[in-house]
Amino acid sequence: MIELKRDQLVFSFPEIHPKAKLTISFQRTLRIPDDGRHYSLPPGLGDFPLRHVDDYASRVASSWLKRGGVMFPMYQSEAMWITVNSDYIDDHRTEYPFAIKVAAGKIDAITGKKWSEKLKGKPQNYMVAPEQPWLDGFCVKKGTIRQFIAMPLGAGYSAEEQITGEAEYGGLQLLVCPMKRKVFEQRFPKIKEQIRQIESFAHYDDLSEAIPCCLSDMGLAPGGQMKQEIYEDPFKLSDWDQTTTSRCFVHIANSMVWSSITGGQPPTPPPTAKEYTRAGLPWFDYYNETARPLDGSAVLENLKSVAEMGAEMGDVPLPENESATPENIVQIRHGLKKGQVREGSF
Amino acid sequence: MNGFGDYIRKQRETKREQDRKFSVRQLAARVGVQPSYLSKVERGLEPPPSEKVIIRLAEELDEDPDVLLAMAGKVSTELMHVILSRPKLFAELIRQLKDQPDHAVLRVVREVRDGDW
Repeated sequence: MIELKRDQLVFSFPEIHPKAKLTISFQRTLRIPDDGRHYSLPPGLGDFPLRHVDDYASRVASSWLKRGGVMFPMYQSEAMWITVNSDYIDDHRTEYPFAIKVAAGKIDAITGKKWSEKLKGKPQNYMVAPEQPWLDGFCVKKGTIRQFIAMPLGAGYSAEEQITGEAEYGGLQLLVCPMKRKVFEQRFPKIKEQIRQIESFAHYDDLSEAIPCCLSDMGLAPGGQMKQEIYEDPFKLSDWDQTTTSRCFVHIANSMVWSSITGGQPPTPPPTAKEYTRAGLPWFDYYNETARPLDGSAVLENLKSVAEMGAEMGDVPLPENESATPENIVQIRHGLKKGQVREGSF
Repeated sequence: MNGFGDYIRKQRETKREQDRKFSVRQLAARVGVQPSYLSKVERGLEPPPSEKVIIRLAEELDEDPDVLLAMAGKVSTELMHVILSRPKLFAELIRQLKDQPDHAVLRVVREVRDGDW
């Protein structure tokens, strides 16, 4: 079952385990310069507002209603990262494991292949929570992603359009699969002691006409390069309960039309990477020494970044693409303290 | 009986065992009130604070804001607006569900709809 709670998608599987819950939200962030350099992880600047498409049925495209799901606003050339948090289960001393598939325009963000409902091991087409706390973009090489950048669907920039030649879906697609209950109990048996130490950390205008969908539909394109690893599944493919999955279509609306769809204001545009860095605010490097990173996807590596496409088309899609030199880099190791998230304080 | 005050004192002291940032003084500073005031609230010598302060306390103490507000005898302004927008509908809904067990109430919870794609 999926609920929308305070701008977060909460996936729960009470039929598997009463506490098997995964929360996914979409973080506002800085757009890293698309300049050939590899950047550390930028901060989170707060959740994007998430809404049910059904609540604005008279204002959204019929294709959105057909697909159901939720929506959030992004400005053209704005960036985003996905944060993933699995609930900690006290008496098993672990978060409940989940396998998560993420696609942009129904193109898998890890393998570059077309969307399928199945988890595959070779190449691995999913990420695993809690090992993977964030996904900032398309997995182009081992240890490198290209940042998710919103561009109007139909303009030719998105991964979907570059790979399929079509501008059909846009947005993001998610599929969440819990670990089988029996496997969970075997791998993480209940802790029997009656007295447990309190652990200090847990292991996240109003318009009367409908808006034409070509104006409001956004797709995700590959932007600047960032140091991020997508980790290999530490479990077995057969450990995942593929008979019990939940999926969700996450539409991305152009922020310029968000208030005419919802009546609410979109978030303000974020600062540039240069402004943020000049203010001495932190970037982040994340280390998980126990997990192994996946190789990237050759298909995704061959995509043209937004800057490259723009140069080819004689367009300037990225205003303010100046390089930045982050000096204040916070190191985060796997096993975050509760509340220690990538928050900026801009 | 000082349910609200006792509860936040207990939660604060539990956190303080692991993290010194949860002394009365430091928590009060982060939440935006005087330490002496927070101490009086905890001891039941002052009534529960405003909605804004309770929500900040909930964030600091990792508590659900609606639960903390209810303990203080309040309902959030947001929930109040929801009820007042369609008072007959929501009053009827709450009355019908008030004696149901949790799982029955949760079945009414709104799920994100998955369509055809």
